[in-house]
Amino acid sequence: MEQKKLAVTVDDLTVAYNYKPVLWDIDLAIPEGVMMAIVGPNGAGKSTLIKAILGIIDPIAGSVAIYGKPYKKQRKLVGYVPQKGSVDWDFPTTALDVVMMGTYGSLGWIKRPGKKEKKIALEALEKVGMLSFKDRQISQLSGGQQQRVFLARALAQDAAIYFMDEPFQGVDATTEIAIINILKELRKAGKTVIVVHHDLQTVPEYFDWVTFLNVKKIATGPVKEIFNDDNLTKTYGINYKVSVQQ
Amino acid sequence: MNSAQIEIQLIVSLVAIACAIPGTFLVLRKMALISDAISHSILPGVVVGFFITSDLNSPLLILMAALSGVITVVLVEFIQKTKLVKEDTAIGLVFPTLFSIGVILISKYANDIHLDVDAVLVGDLTLVAFDRISINGLDLGPKSLWVIGTILVITVGLLLAFFKELKVSTFDPGLATALGFSPVVLHYGLMSVASITTVGAFDAVGAILVVALMIAPAAIAYLLTDDLKKMLLLSVFFGVISAVLGYWLSHWLNTSISGSITTVLGLVFLLVYLFAPKKGLISVLYRNRQQKIEVSLLTFLLHLNNHTEERERHINHLNEHINWQKVKSKSVVDLALRNNMITIEANIISLTEKGKSFTDKAIDYIITNDDSEIESMKEDFFLFRG
Repeated sequence: MEQKKLAVTVDDLTVAYNYKPVLWDIDLAIPEGVMMAIVGPNGAGKSTLIKAILGIIDPIAGSVAIYGKPYKKQRKLVGYVPQKGSVDWDFPTTALDVVMMGTYGSLGWIKRPGKKEKKIALEALEKVGMLSFKDRQISQLSGGQQQRVFLARALAQDAAIYFMDEPFQGVDATTEIAIINILKELRKAGKTVIVVHHDLQTVPEYFDWVTFLNVKKIATGPVKEIFNDDNLTKTYGINYKVSVQQ
Repeated sequence: MNSAQIEIQLIVSLVAIACAIPGTFLVLRKMALISDAISHSILPGVVVGFFITSDLNSPLLILMAALSGVITVVLVEFIQKTKLVKEDTAIGLVFPTLFSIGVILISKYANDIHLDVDAVLVGDLTLVAFDRISINGLDLGPKSLWVIGTILVITVGLLLAFFKELKVSTFDPGLATALGFSPVVLHYGLMSVASITTVGAFDAVGAILVVALMIAPAAIAYLLTDDLKKMLLLSVFFGVISAVLGYWLSHWLNTSISGSITTVLGLVFLLVYLFAPKKGLISVLYRNRQQKIEVSLLTFLLHLNNHTEERERHINHLNEHINWQKVKSKSVVDLALRNNMITIEANIISLTEKGKSFTDKAIDYIITNDDSEIESMKEDFFLFRG
């Protein structure tokens, strides 16, 4: 394997909810420029892993580094797409306004978004094909459109590493293709993309790197080398025969 | 109007503005009940502050009261985090306890001072004009005006400085954390402002009215707009209007000012709840009914579009075949005729060009949810209004 810079390193990360570990002693080294799926059964701690890396949840042990430095010093390098269900879509705001939130990080405290930020947000909306919806109240968007708005918001963060929590959940095939095309463009531009993913069938097609997770890390590496029945069985606990279809 | 009347109206208006701002965020964060809790549990803070300073006018009272407001929030969250009780139960446990500690402290040690529980709960606006500040004999106006004015200036300053942060942490706390805007800091900042506003307002208007002025204007504004800035402005507007109207209602009925203002707030909410153009009950019911008819219209047109054979297009067949118990088929046929979408010859219904293009566009819109095609249809059909 060629030697690449590491975008994200996770050392001995343990996260517990009410003293029950949901992630146990995770070590990860994610090379720059990969498109990685995090797969595992429900309750495996996939979302928790992302949240712990982004400092949204405090781990009880372990550390995370983004390009060798703590996350808190590298916020501007990281974009985040949370699960769609994590926010109240009845909030009084428009699609454009939500995308503008992606620029808040580079603004810092107090400073208000101006023309430059609006331009960034409009470009991001255009990239996800949502420009004509910019003034729509967010509750008036379909599920797939809401997901695209979230993606546009992450694009507006203009990051080097993107974390996405189930961006394909509840979207139709058209939106899924649109999203995956944008992710592939990001990778072409040298960005690192890390996605919590549920559909095992599409892993070899969409991603070049994969992490199997079930409270503990089962395996991590290139899809071609480790996406096999053995690891799938270890992760999901039942016999999987996905690789046959490749 | 005499000067006392003007002063009272000015005070309630400032209180209304100062309450509407944190109130809007409390409503959006689904934390309306917390304002009720804070308004009661600041009592022990006031009492303890009084014990320390022996001065009812000391700013320390406000700070102590704000502190006990924040302690309320901390306790509620602490109890809730144990997962042994739900949030509303936790609120119901914490604030009566703190409030009763205040009540006991007053009745045990402070019986002889002017600090009675009734005044705390409903306030007494008629008296605020008499409690004045003067320097070297120069009258500077009622004390309440200065207290609430100061709090308002601070609140507006904080709002202008941290609007963006409050917005993102209210809408998406996860993203706010990831971006480095600590939702915890903003949360307690907001709670402190709500507590301080409550303290500053309650000796003028009482604890119950403070709750009404925080929650009702924001709830009214929420029904009228889809924009956070407009929601803030509207809740300020409705707070002030209700405060002034309430004042004159009390004048007219010769009754409690706080009670009248709260009643007006309730009435204004009722009116907006019923008649708000988009989210109001009547508008929603009307729209639902219209949409039901329009969905039937679309079903009907689609059926015509799909079938060329006459049997399928006979008026009686349509009555039988498409399941329309709930919407009279006649109203649907009439609607289609009125819009020149169909023609009827010898009981056989045919689609006109207009009807055909309407059907195509509508189906396209329903599949894509894309506005560009159907702008012209929005005026005539509820189905296509966002």
